[in-house]
Amino acid sequence: MTHTLHRQGMPENLQNDYVVFAMSAKDHNEVGSAANMQAFLRIVGRHNPINMGDMKTGNCFHAGTEDIEANVQDTSIVHAVFADIDSVAVVVKEIQEAELGLSVVVSGLLDPVREMCRELGLTPAPHTVEHSLGVWGKVELLPAEEILEISTMCGHGMVSFGLVQEAVADVRAGKSTPEEAAKKLAEPCVCGVFNPARAAVLLKRMADK
Amino acid sequence: MRIDPNSCVGCGQCISYCPMEAIHLTDAGVSEVDQEECVECGVCLRNASCPTDAIIETENPWPRSVRASFSNPLMEHKETRIPGRGTEEMKTNDVTGRFRYGQVGMAMEVGRPGTGTRFRDVQILTMMLAELGIHLEVQNPVTSLIVDEDKGLLNPDVLNEKVLSAIVEFTIPIEKVPGVIERLREVEGQLNTVFSVDLICKVRQNDFVATVPLMERLGVSLSANGKNNLGLGRPYFEEALP
Repeated sequence: MTHTLHRQGMPENLQNDYVVFAMSAKDHNEVGSAANMQAFLRIVGRHNPINMGDMKTGNCFHAGTEDIEANVQDTSIVHAVFADIDSVAVVVKEIQEAELGLSVVVSGLLDPVREMCRELGLTPAPHTVEHSLGVWGKVELLPAEEILEISTMCGHGMVSFGLVQEAVADVRAGKSTPEEAAKKLAEPCVCGVFNPARAAVLLKRMADK
Repeated sequence: MRIDPNSCVGCGQCISYCPMEAIHLTDAGVSEVDQEECVECGVCLRNASCPTDAIIETENPWPRSVRASFSNPLMEHKETRIPGRGTEEMKTNDVTGRFRYGQVGMAMEVGRPGTGTRFRDVQILTMMLAELGIHLEVQNPVTSLIVDEDKGLLNPDVLNEKVLSAIVEFTIPIEKVPGVIERLREVEGQLNTVFSVDLICKVRQNDFVATVPLMERLGVSLSANGKNNLGLGRPYFEEALP
């Protein structure tokens, strides 16, 4: 499950796109881990995440943060999205100090995350890394790169290419602001890993063309 | 999914939500789901705010049942007890030790981004890996569909079933990666869909990532962004640094 990998984009807009998430390991530290995931959610919630969610319940636009925390289970995966590495560093430091014992993953630009790990004394920096080797096969089936930059922010493919195209048209026609259209796109992404702030910037850029 | 033609008012607002473009307006002016293309992901039901509740979740017996389990992230696979399409892979590697020094995790997610796949396209990759003598990750739901491990054959019942994506996942010694990349380049044109490829590596002393120079030698571009397990999980899987 690589739901936060393969997010497409250029470094200048990926620098505003970081996902922090936590989970327990089946048959290792799963039992009783729900309380620690709730603690994780309380920590990330104090730092104004752009989005947050749990695959068991949904994202904060659908479910609301209180329901997300209340419904956490030992098998949950809890997520939050941030717009800059400095916010991520503050959040990770608090998680580190809380000694939750959960596995914590940060998805985003690799160089800034490695530097953050070094500054927080996490060695090796990081423990394990996963790269995308891109898209292979019949790539002519894919839409324009700018559509993919938005739709790939939901790794489960819940944000359709058509919905992105409709959002661009709505912004261009003045039916929605970029922010309103981006929120509509964030709703189908049940895990809460879609970044509506980045999507709003990309939608405005497309609509202005 | 099905849309009740007697309830549908033909507003069409469900159409753009479908990741597979499987919903269309009929000549009668109502929305209809193309059952061949629908992957049972549930996006329309959960998000399209149908004004007359005309979208109906249908019972899907085997083999159609695989569509929802591989497409709807809210459904938990019975094989992995994880919602979604893969395993914990590197996300809990600090605790499980699934990927150790000298080993690499690889995965090909067939149908991603956004094109979907039939299992017959997934089978092209499982057969290729079987030829290379590579064993698939046992906890991955695709592996549970294998009926002939030596040949990499999937259950023939599912070959025509369409899903949003399916992940072929395995762990190999790093020395075997060039052979896999070479074969992937040879077979990628046989698939009638796309697939996203990823590579997992445990980081060594001095923050050395062994897959980075290897991919440079092979002429494969690595993404500037990716996933980072921070090593905060406990109990920590201990392994001496090489």
